[in-house]
Amino acid sequence: MNRIRWIALFAVLTIIAAACGGTEDTTAAPGTTAAPGETTAAPGETTAAPGETTAAPAPGLEGTLKVLLHQNPPLVAYMEDFNGRFEAANPGIKVQMEIVESGDIATGIQTRLTANEVDVIDYCPAGCSAFSTPVQPYMSNVEPPLWQQLIDAGLIADLSNESFVANYDPVAVADAGTYNGGVYALPAARVSYSGMFVNNDLLADVGVALPTTWGELVAACDTIIASGNECMTVGGADGWPVFVGSYGLIGAYYPDQAGLVEGLWTGEIKWNDETSIELFRRLQTYTQDMLEEGVTGLAHDAGPARYSAGDVAFMPTGVWQAPALEDAGPAFDWTYVPFPGSDNAADNQYLFGKYDMSWMVAEDSQNKEAALAYLAALSDPAEYQTYVNAVGVIPTQPTATLETKLGQAIADLIPNYRVGFEQYWLPPTGAGQWANGSQAASFFAPFNEWTDAVELANQAQADLDAGLGS
Amino acid sequence: MQVMKKGYLFGKGWRGNWPILLLLPGLLFYLIIAVGPSLATAVYAFTDATGLRGLPVNWVGFDNFREFLVQGAASRDNLAALQRTLVFAFFVTTIQFSLGLLLAVVLNQKIRGRFFFRTLFFMPVFLGVVIQGLMWKLMLLPRGGPVSEVFNVFGVQSEFLGGPPTEAFVWVLVVQIWANVGITMVIFLAGMQTIPTDLYEAARIDGARGWKLFRNVTWPLLTPAINTNFLLNVVGSLQAWQLFLVLIGYKPGTQVLGYLVFAEGFGQTGGSGSFRQGFAAAASIVLFILVLIFGMVANYIVARREKKYMA
Repeated sequence: MNRIRWIALFAVLTIIAAACGGTEDTTAAPGTTAAPGETTAAPGETTAAPGETTAAPAPGLEGTLKVLLHQNPPLVAYMEDFNGRFEAANPGIKVQMEIVESGDIATGIQTRLTANEVDVIDYCPAGCSAFSTPVQPYMSNVEPPLWQQLIDAGLIADLSNESFVANYDPVAVADAGTYNGGVYALPAARVSYSGMFVNNDLLADVGVALPTTWGELVAACDTIIASGNECMTVGGADGWPVFVGSYGLIGAYYPDQAGLVEGLWTGEIKWNDETSIELFRRLQTYTQDMLEEGVTGLAHDAGPARYSAGDVAFMPTGVWQAPALEDAGPAFDWTYVPFPGSDNAADNQYLFGKYDMSWMVAEDSQNKEAALAYLAALSDPAEYQTYVNAVGVIPTQPTATLETKLGQAIADLIPNYRVGFEQYWLPPTGAGQWANGSQAASFFAPFNEWTDAVELANQAQADLDAGLGS
Repeated sequence: MQVMKKGYLFGKGWRGNWPILLLLPGLLFYLIIAVGPSLATAVYAFTDATGLRGLPVNWVGFDNFREFLVQGAASRDNLAALQRTLVFAFFVTTIQFSLGLLLAVVLNQKIRGRFFFRTLFFMPVFLGVVIQGLMWKLMLLPRGGPVSEVFNVFGVQSEFLGGPPTEAFVWVLVVQIWANVGITMVIFLAGMQTIPTDLYEAARIDGARGWKLFRNVTWPLLTPAINTNFLLNVVGSLQAWQLFLVLIGYKPGTQVLGYLVFAEGFGQTGGSGSFRQGFAAAASIVLFILVLIFGMVANYIVARREKKYMA
């Protein structure tokens, strides 16, 4: 009996020991580790033509690299391909990529960094932007943005001394990846969200010219709807695409978006002054008269499929939906133009946008070298060009070009690119839920309860004042 | 065979400590998993903790509570969320309780297919909140969704979950009840099946039928099940928030207190995206006090019922 007890105890201890020691064996047997220079590809083989690309080998690196990525179908498809190439070029490294909805990625970053369970982070929390403007001198009583909290906590590695940082546009790195003199993020992309996709075939069918002013847009919508088609669609079920679709309209009224934020904070601009009330009226027209019925249930990801059905003239949204649009309907003839929010066509030439996803490395990463090699491979100009082509973003590397259909559509507008409101905006603590007037489009019925533009404008200003004065 | 002396179930001496030793692992587990975090939350509520490793945690006194309850227009929104929580709890408790009881009464009869229907009504309980939410998101599509099509037959239009806050709120309430009514029904059914049939026979001999039978036999003898369901429904609905996250997300005018705690703690409020776990802890203390008050009231009602019927 005693012998059986001892055997049982030994078995239990063995199982516990095995479970505790269950981390992946990342140490190769002696002799299997590649010596420095003993890479799988010969020099020169690491730079390939776009589409074949590089994923440059980093000799001697081993381990499991944990990568956190936000959900975006074209991006995920590209990253899966890239990981395959990176693993092939670096046989000692296994990439373990976790994909999280962008609404949940902030939580994912926090929990994984706290548990030290992530090496490479795609920084793309709600709103998916790289470093927005930090707290400004004219702001008080405000919470710092998440990226600032992460760096202050010492959780993010400083990339200042990495040579691949030089591959990126220095302005983009300074604007969207630098803090307190260190480079903590690689701004992988810029996007524009203030334009709209245009269904060329439908406009031709109903005999409407491409609208270049607000008046023309209103008239075009009337004609299109009268013809039995729909004027606009957006993925309204997710909430944010409704107000993102209206950013062009706000940009037409306030082309200096940093100035708008400062004005709101200092009281020089009010949500209920004459200009803003006119803006709010147009936002109401956009929400209630231009968007098709039923968009309250249309998910953002489903937007391109709905739009490419062909009976909707415009889809005001970000350029990131271009690849999905091409996949959804290759024969579908579209272009992308700035949202004509102003009565003056010259005011409607700007593309507002933001720095999008950016790459970070966890400071306490146990695979820091591999993580840096991963970023180096992603930053290789040839690889970066493949990424740009696949995901359809506006490049942040000066050598890259947007060679897609979208790139052709917006090539002339790139010089008119401006950073938009949401990159500058931080709400004062105590501000109410209607204080961010840039989201007013989604506050109107049918998405929310407001039906009067003036009442909403007054409430937005009152909610902002409550925060500024608290 | 060893016979234990009366009063010493595990024997005298060191053997008498067996119950404590057996309870110890469970007790330790409870302390670590439940009591520890609860105490930590109470302390966190007085700090500016972010939950991020490496950032200093400063003592801020009652600032978080002041911000939650009285500072600026945000406090108005917080108090509205608190009010919404109470409204949600009231409707969920009353409707889920009544519907669960009705289903249990019907499915406790010897009718054909009763086992099938018991399974059918209980099935949503097995599904996770995410599955429940995604399923209903599809059901409630305003364009071409099944519920929308049925509504169209009667000329009714709704924006469902994407519509104005009140409308979206009502649909979350419907889904919450659908998801949990099965467990209420099962508890009632279990209670009904413990009632001896001879009591019904005796009552029938005395001329009791239908409502009288239910009122005078079933209802009093169902007291333990009624009390359990009442407490579970009150506390569960006050704490509910996951369906709000899955079905609506952070939308002005729809949050309940539980969701507000999550959103503030994990940068989901659409503001700066910063993590405010100290503030979230203060909000959760407010929620705890609410649950405590209503839990005590519910417990008082339950105790009175037990005294009345079970004495």
